[in-house]
Amino acid sequence: MMKPTGVIFFPAFDWAISPTHPEREERLLYTRDQLFEEGIMDLPHIKEYKPELASFKDVLRVHFCVPSVEERIIEAHLVAAGSALKLADAFLAGEIKNGFAIVRPPGHHAMTVSHANRGFCDINNEAIMIEYVRKKYGIKKVAIVDTDVHHGDGTQEIYYNDPDVLFISFHQDGRTLYPGTGFTSEAGWGRGYGTTINIPLPPRTSDEGIHYVLDNLVLPILEDFKPDLVVNSAGQDNHYTDPLADMCFTAQGYALLNKKLKPDIAVLEGGYSVETALPYVNMGIIMAMAGLDFSNLKEPDYSQNRLRNGSSHLDYLKKLVEKQLFLYRNREEVVNKQYAENKNRFYVEQKSIFYDTEYLYEMQNNKLRLCPECQGYRVIESTARHRDGITYNVGCISIPVNCCRNCHDEARAVYIDMQEKARYDMVYLQDRIDDRYYSFHVQKGIEKVW
Amino acid sequence: MLIGIDIGGTYTDGVVYREGKIIKTAKKPTLYEEIDVSLLAVLDDLIKDMDVKQVKRLVISTTLVTNLIATGRGERTALLLLPGYGLPHDLYRIGDDTYFLKGSIDFRGREIEEIDEKEVIECIEDIKKKGIRRVAIAGKFASRNNLQEKKVQDLFHKHYREALTVISSKVANRLNFPRRAATAYFTAMTLKEWEGFVAQIRSALQERNLSCEVFILKADGGTTPLDLSVFTPCETVFSGPAASTMGGKAITMDDKNAVVIDIGGTTSDISLLIEGNPLYASKGAVISGFYTHIHALAVKSVPLGGDSLIYLQDGSIDVAPYREGNAACLGGNRPTVTDVFNVKYRLNVGNAASSVKALQELALLAGMELDRLCDKVVDIVISRLTEAIKNMFKEWENEPAYKVWEVVNGRRFKPDRLIGIGAAARAIIPVLAEKMDLPYLVHDHSPVANALGAAVARPTLTVNLHIDTAQGVCMVDPGGIRQQVPRSPAFSMEEARKIALNFLQEIGKKRGMEDYLEDYRFYKEEQFNMIRGWDRIGKIFEIELQVAPGFIKEYRGVI
Repeated sequence: MMKPTGVIFFPAFDWAISPTHPEREERLLYTRDQLFEEGIMDLPHIKEYKPELASFKDVLRVHFCVPSVEERIIEAHLVAAGSALKLADAFLAGEIKNGFAIVRPPGHHAMTVSHANRGFCDINNEAIMIEYVRKKYGIKKVAIVDTDVHHGDGTQEIYYNDPDVLFISFHQDGRTLYPGTGFTSEAGWGRGYGTTINIPLPPRTSDEGIHYVLDNLVLPILEDFKPDLVVNSAGQDNHYTDPLADMCFTAQGYALLNKKLKPDIAVLEGGYSVETALPYVNMGIIMAMAGLDFSNLKEPDYSQNRLRNGSSHLDYLKKLVEKQLFLYRNREEVVNKQYAENKNRFYVEQKSIFYDTEYLYEMQNNKLRLCPECQGYRVIESTARHRDGITYNVGCISIPVNCCRNCHDEARAVYIDMQEKARYDMVYLQDRIDDRYYSFHVQKGIEKVW
Repeated sequence: MLIGIDIGGTYTDGVVYREGKIIKTAKKPTLYEEIDVSLLAVLDDLIKDMDVKQVKRLVISTTLVTNLIATGRGERTALLLLPGYGLPHDLYRIGDDTYFLKGSIDFRGREIEEIDEKEVIECIEDIKKKGIRRVAIAGKFASRNNLQEKKVQDLFHKHYREALTVISSKVANRLNFPRRAATAYFTAMTLKEWEGFVAQIRSALQERNLSCEVFILKADGGTTPLDLSVFTPCETVFSGPAASTMGGKAITMDDKNAVVIDIGGTTSDISLLIEGNPLYASKGAVISGFYTHIHALAVKSVPLGGDSLIYLQDGSIDVAPYREGNAACLGGNRPTVTDVFNVKYRLNVGNAASSVKALQELALLAGMELDRLCDKVVDIVISRLTEAIKNMFKEWENEPAYKVWEVVNGRRFKPDRLIGIGAAARAIIPVLAEKMDLPYLVHDHSPVANALGAAVARPTLTVNLHIDTAQGVCMVDPGGIRQQVPRSPAFSMEEARKIALNFLQEIGKKRGMEDYLEDYRFYKEEQFNMIRGWDRIGKIFEIELQVAPGFIKEYRGVI
């Protein structure tokens, strides 16, 4: 018998950012109505799972939570992330042919350092799942295709220098939409150059345009990259009725996209057209993943004619596709050249990050170790004044799962060094090799290990 | 005096209960084709030499409807679906006479596509031509607006008066279109036959001068008056297992976690009492492989009972999923599970020497020692039962959850004891309990506890409300009632609860359950703010309240 598609439907009917926020209880209400009324969960094609809680350790495998994971993370976050883990387990145990976590709150704007909620996200559900399966199952290469209308800047940042994680995001052009990033020039860092592919689409891009990009750019790259696991950050706000964005994608378009993409695990991200898009798009994705015929799925106000793009629009996309294909195909050459020319031990970069939900600014000083053996460890110095008026200066050291022995030793020495420095309130070490996560309170001299 | 009769697949059991005691019992084989005959044979046994004026209440649980459907003896029924957009229509097909019509409603109850009268009339003509006289009509989201279902039904009244029509919103006004369609379909299929059965019973009771209240046990362990059961015959499916569960509760009468196991001739029915309350099947009763909206207790059937045959399968000893007759100790020819327990645990059931003899013969054939053969059978029986029980715990623990607190406060089922019911319980349950390291109870009346459960069960009622204050409507299940509510954005949960409670009282009174209407509980109270732009335009409420399965007031337990 054909394996079923695993579904976790977790509408978090008892949690919201605030009563009138787009990310509120009502968000998946009509989706529930639609899924339940269709009876799709009763079909043998579908196996519905109960969500589970992710652990703090699962979160710490990806994030530095400031000041601490206990203070930053609430149960709703752990359920959403835990749902992705549960489906990944079911998938890798061979129980299901693929899985879709229809969960809230979303996660793709959450970056490595998490001071607060940004873009409705606190922790990155997909990254938490990916680091979990890399550690637990030894999965090596992963591809994330982010189909949310907003640039998946959090996921991009987490995997910016990781050559084993391919991140492809198509989204409405950052000049016209939050978070204002995701340009073609953002292509990766260090050995991760060329495995970040951004596709900024002009507003009002339709099914035709998105499928052009999918067929000519996304799918060929995936075929070449040969990932062990394909993850879809399944945002649904490219839909023509979304109130926060300005695109023209349909439920049919989303379903067909999933049929072609064949993600192993899809995780819901954004999508705020709670009545006119989400019920239909979620149905479409489930049906496509389960191999059901979705030709009878349509929004009540669907009209094919309204959703075409003109030829200049398509010409623009053609050039974009060519450019990004070139970037991907020449990535190794560029990386080799960069490493050969650069005699420094580190790349250094300053960044400022804006947390829109809680209105705070973070200043970051990023260092990436340029290692001849591996992708190198990262050192992040971060400062932000939280809503409670307290300013935190923290030091973070991140050791990737595929880190070499030298870097591993060096990074641990950096952690000890930084503990001596009074300019930090907290120093954290993320040791993915040993799967141990440390936080050190400088003033109290107390270390906590997960 | 109270009488309970449970017409099971193999046996029909009956009890007479009075003031804390079972004063009479009866047990007869069930005649599959003549359920009414089996029923009356047991009834006559029970009321022999008795003043029938003393009988206050008679409750019957029966497999009639289950059998009708399972054996395909139900009347040919057409199913008219208005499925609109979504899943491929073919997935909704039940039977050969399924029609797909235009018409569509969305989740807020708004009409998206109108029905096409011409198309409906053509369909009616076709049904007429085929000679089909039963019709079920189901529209997607009819539970949010049943206007289109009613229009189609009206067209039948106009163009095909003789047809018996059932609309889905009337039989089950909750979400899940295929379950509603199946419920309507099986209702239309069995309505007349059930009516006939009810009429037979009524005249048989009259002949016997029995003028007591008569109830039918439903799949959810509650009763419904005989006269009202004619509208919802499908509620009677699986009332047998429900009788057993209620029997388990009736002989214990406490609020412990328990596993109730009814070990019958060829099947064991397993159900759970959670803090004394029977567990409901989360997806409703499954009829002929179709999920329905019929409230039912969660019962797992294992094809294994006291009469299950012990035989050689490819050279090794196994327990068959069927019977060939009685246990050897009870006059049968071949050894059964009962014989094995009889020998191994020296139970002295019937003629124990016959058990030994039958098993000895089989042991010789298998080239095994008698002891080893018995050990092996006991192992098979116990491990199949424990596995089924554990799966049941796991399924309950893994039910999907939609709220943070439900996930955080995960479920764990820790049983306090096993309750054995049925003729073979005395033999098997003690061994099973030891293996599971649990206390157990096998009551003197365990063989007829199912009939006792029926005799003393009280009525149940579950009411569901969906209120949409932006549209100003309220939809109610059961009955498919659609009512106006104020369009006030200030509408509170308190008001919503009040409306729900009024419906419970109103519907409950019509069902003659005044005595139990104070004993309700709210099981679901959800409220959603509807935000459009930055304004709150209304609220949606989802409310469920229930008079749960329990016992009539005068029942306090049995000695």
